[in-house]
Amino acid sequence: MKLILSTSNLMQGGRPSVIRQPLTQKSNIELITSLRSNFLASQQFQGNGTESRANGHTNGDANGNANGTSSDLKHHQDHRSWTGNAAGDLYIPAIDFSQPGLSEERDQYDITVKLFYLPGIPASRRCAHTREAIDLVLKELHVKSIDLLIVSFPGILFDADDDSEDEDNEASTGEPADDFDSMVQTWRVLESLHEQGMIAQLGVAEFGSERLARFLPHTKVKPSVDQINLKDCCVVPKSLILYAKEEKIQLLTHNDCNDILPVGTTRELLGPGERGAGILASTPEGSDGIQGDVEPQWVVKYTAVVKDRGVVENKGYFALADVGTCVKNRS
Amino acid sequence: MGLLALGTALEWPEAKKKAGQVRQWGIEQLLANWRRARGKERDALLWGDEVEYLVVALDDETKKARLSLAQAEILKSLARDEALWKAGGTEQGGNGDHDGEDPPHFHPEFGRFMLEATPGRPWGIGFKDLLKVESNMKWRREVAKAHMAPNESPITLTTFPRLGTKDDYIQPYYPPSGPALRSQFVPDEIANPHIRFPTLAANIRTRRGRKVELNVPVFKDINTPSPFKDPTVNYDLHKWPEDADVRNGAAKDDHVYMDAMAFGMGSCCLQITFQAKNIPEGRKLYDQLSPLGPILLALTAATPIYKGFLVDTDVRWNQIGNAVDDRTPEELGEAPLKNDRWRIPKSRYASNSTYISQDPRLRKEYLDPDLVVDEDIKKKLMDGGMDDQLATHFAHLFIRDPLVIFSEDLEELDLNKGDHFENLQSTNWQHMRFKPPPSDKDDIGWRVEFRSMEIQITDFENAAFSIFVVLITRAILSFNLNFYLPIPRTTENMETAHARNAVLDQKFYFRKDPFAERTPRNAQHSSNGSTFSSTTSSAVNTPPPSPPLGPVESEYELMTISEIINGCSDGGFPGLIPLVESYLNSVNVDVETRCFLATYLDLIRKRADGTLWTGARWIREFVTKHPSYKQDSVVSEEITYDLVKAVEEMTAKEGKNGSIGWELLRGKKN
Repeated sequence: MKLILSTSNLMQGGRPSVIRQPLTQKSNIELITSLRSNFLASQQFQGNGTESRANGHTNGDANGNANGTSSDLKHHQDHRSWTGNAAGDLYIPAIDFSQPGLSEERDQYDITVKLFYLPGIPASRRCAHTREAIDLVLKELHVKSIDLLIVSFPGILFDADDDSEDEDNEASTGEPADDFDSMVQTWRVLESLHEQGMIAQLGVAEFGSERLARFLPHTKVKPSVDQINLKDCCVVPKSLILYAKEEKIQLLTHNDCNDILPVGTTRELLGPGERGAGILASTPEGSDGIQGDVEPQWVVKYTAVVKDRGVVENKGYFALADVGTCVKNRS
Repeated sequence: MGLLALGTALEWPEAKKKAGQVRQWGIEQLLANWRRARGKERDALLWGDEVEYLVVALDDETKKARLSLAQAEILKSLARDEALWKAGGTEQGGNGDHDGEDPPHFHPEFGRFMLEATPGRPWGIGFKDLLKVESNMKWRREVAKAHMAPNESPITLTTFPRLGTKDDYIQPYYPPSGPALRSQFVPDEIANPHIRFPTLAANIRTRRGRKVELNVPVFKDINTPSPFKDPTVNYDLHKWPEDADVRNGAAKDDHVYMDAMAFGMGSCCLQITFQAKNIPEGRKLYDQLSPLGPILLALTAATPIYKGFLVDTDVRWNQIGNAVDDRTPEELGEAPLKNDRWRIPKSRYASNSTYISQDPRLRKEYLDPDLVVDEDIKKKLMDGGMDDQLATHFAHLFIRDPLVIFSEDLEELDLNKGDHFENLQSTNWQHMRFKPPPSDKDDIGWRVEFRSMEIQITDFENAAFSIFVVLITRAILSFNLNFYLPIPRTTENMETAHARNAVLDQKFYFRKDPFAERTPRNAQHSSNGSTFSSTTSSAVNTPPPSPPLGPVESEYELMTISEIINGCSDGGFPGLIPLVESYLNSVNVDVETRCFLATYLDLIRKRADGTLWTGARWIREFVTKHPSYKQDSVVSEEITYDLVKAVEEMTAKEGKNGSIGWELLRGKKN
């Protein structure tokens, strides 16, 4: 069974999207907090009937906790009242895709999407995952294309100190060769979506100059963006700056962590516990919820910014997890 | 500063007779313009900063710093170059770093020792534009300096420390006590000679029935006499009837006394104007920025000296308010109402008194209970189709009399112009200004001006504060933030911001939770990208709230500036800087820009938490540590000279490598 987790527009969710932490520190707090907050809001909304709105105050603190005033409500409530079922997929919470996505015409917006391929998930699934993720975003925003897709490959960590001129830093990143091949394979998929006009520009995340130099010859459509996280914002390796400039690759900043949705976090988020949504059982064999292993497959973040006003109108995440005894074989 | 049309300016008794006509015509023009421009949509974010300078002349031999009254010559010379540049002749300033940037614009200001400079073209939200702001400000300074005498330079102190002293603090020198200002401290020549300015000053004084009165509490140092009686006041002048003011108690004990518009309008400010996408967005920004006015005033504090004395306040604001206070004794509540129409609680220059957004989150409890409104004008506006709130706003501004009226303008009403409207609008100097598009320009939209900030000594700081405010507006619109606070609390905050070291020592009323409550998507109605929860006791829409809201008093509390800027540690207010950073995390920002922005945000973060000093604190420390300072509050000519020299050095070196001013710019010596 597929679980489709969503945050809805977190610009309107308020607090969960404003996190007090060092600017450059990477985290998945935004994703986890806003998912939890969206679940809670949907539960309360349903719990109070559709006529009146929820009076519970949804609050997320810096640790990613969402504290609802009616927190015990959810444990007495069947999740079916606030989740949606379509073609065997469980939408958490239910999504009404007939809601309008953006308030103005498409060309007023810059739509950026970042797709996180998660660690341990076979690269062979990425083609399908990419389509799935992009389709959800297009459906959510009611658009036919996006302006920029940035992909985040698992296990790649940009480190300003490692990005030396040294030719032989392969060992320090500990990257097996087949991962490089799988990245190239994945890129083919993105290139075909680009050709179909679904994605205007492509980007990568956390690539150092070495990796870029190895990667570029294998691409037909060059990445136009490399998104990096900087511990100390103003220390960017000169080699990367020069290389990016030469190849006309824009260096953008981000603060997302790589392993954005670990298995344990997913179970806690969806499980029966104090901070869970009461959907999954507490263990794969448990009887207090849906049984089976849970395996997050991918996470996608989308942002729609009104171009000439710099206003972020819509931002959110989708995440997809498989659950059940028939979780696909990893080979 | 407003309009500089030429003509025959009416003296007060004549002007007063025409006040009603100007107001009526102003309202007609406003309505015509509003009907024309109310539907404007999708204007881009464009914004501009205004930097104001004092022109100082240094005499290194006698170690004297004076204000230079060379404004007219400098502007003439600047205009000549701008014309040449436009004709494709020379490149102004000769600086290749500014390719593609239009040459800056320079404008006259009230003080004849002042200049104002704005970017040649407004800025956009493109992050590349944000990177140009600081270098453009520096360019403006260079261009201005290039048109001055070798010993003159533009500096960005809010006030000249010895304006109005007995010595020759101006160049060329003129003795005080002229017919327009009738000041015993400054000559009429201190003001821009354009007829508008002396008329403005004279009509304020005449309407008021006496000179304006500024009493600023003196800073009591160990050798300061107590009670302190301003030793520069002359009680034996008998040239003008107004010379009797001081004999009637105008100068207060323990205060530095000043008596002319120049002491206020001679201050330099940092003002930011934004173009909104449409009227609703402009009205929203006007409201949401309003509570931030006093906060940014305290944070930019830079005014600890008046007329040669250290004072016990840190900012300029109330001094300007008093310097242009044209209220009569009746309006002030000092005499029973007989001839005037109402008592007016605030000066024309004061914190704003209206909220204008049709935002369901605006509770009627937030509105100013003391608001004075001209009901006839409000009715006229509403009859013309304007909604209650906006009509109230303008009918409030229009309780004032127009101060400068040119007889030529009263011959015929031109509804395609905005001169009569602007006459009132531009002499209501509130800390927020809501600006309709100019009647004659279709490519300009509705704008909001943020006016409370003090000018900073360096362009690094001026750029940092300008960009910070711009980013806050983007965060407000993106997160649909709610900063609503009852207007009387903002008025109080404005007073609080004056206290010495208010930035660290005082607390300000601020809203605890700026977020809308989350509504599940099925309950969202997203139009124009904004969604409001239904739980509001709206001042606009009448439906009763369900469930009822808590008392307004529970929505806000007293916070330090650091808590407002950096956030409360206990999970309360998240902080303006974290809000801005969350916004930046949601948009694509390139590495170089983010690094630049990080240094700006760092300055503001550290000003708020005390790691870095305000300009006011730095100036105080400079004076009190000066070898010739006698712990008697007196800022001598020698100290002033050294201070101006230090300010010039700071402007150039910006506190880098332990150079002067590191305490307010870097926080560490190396």
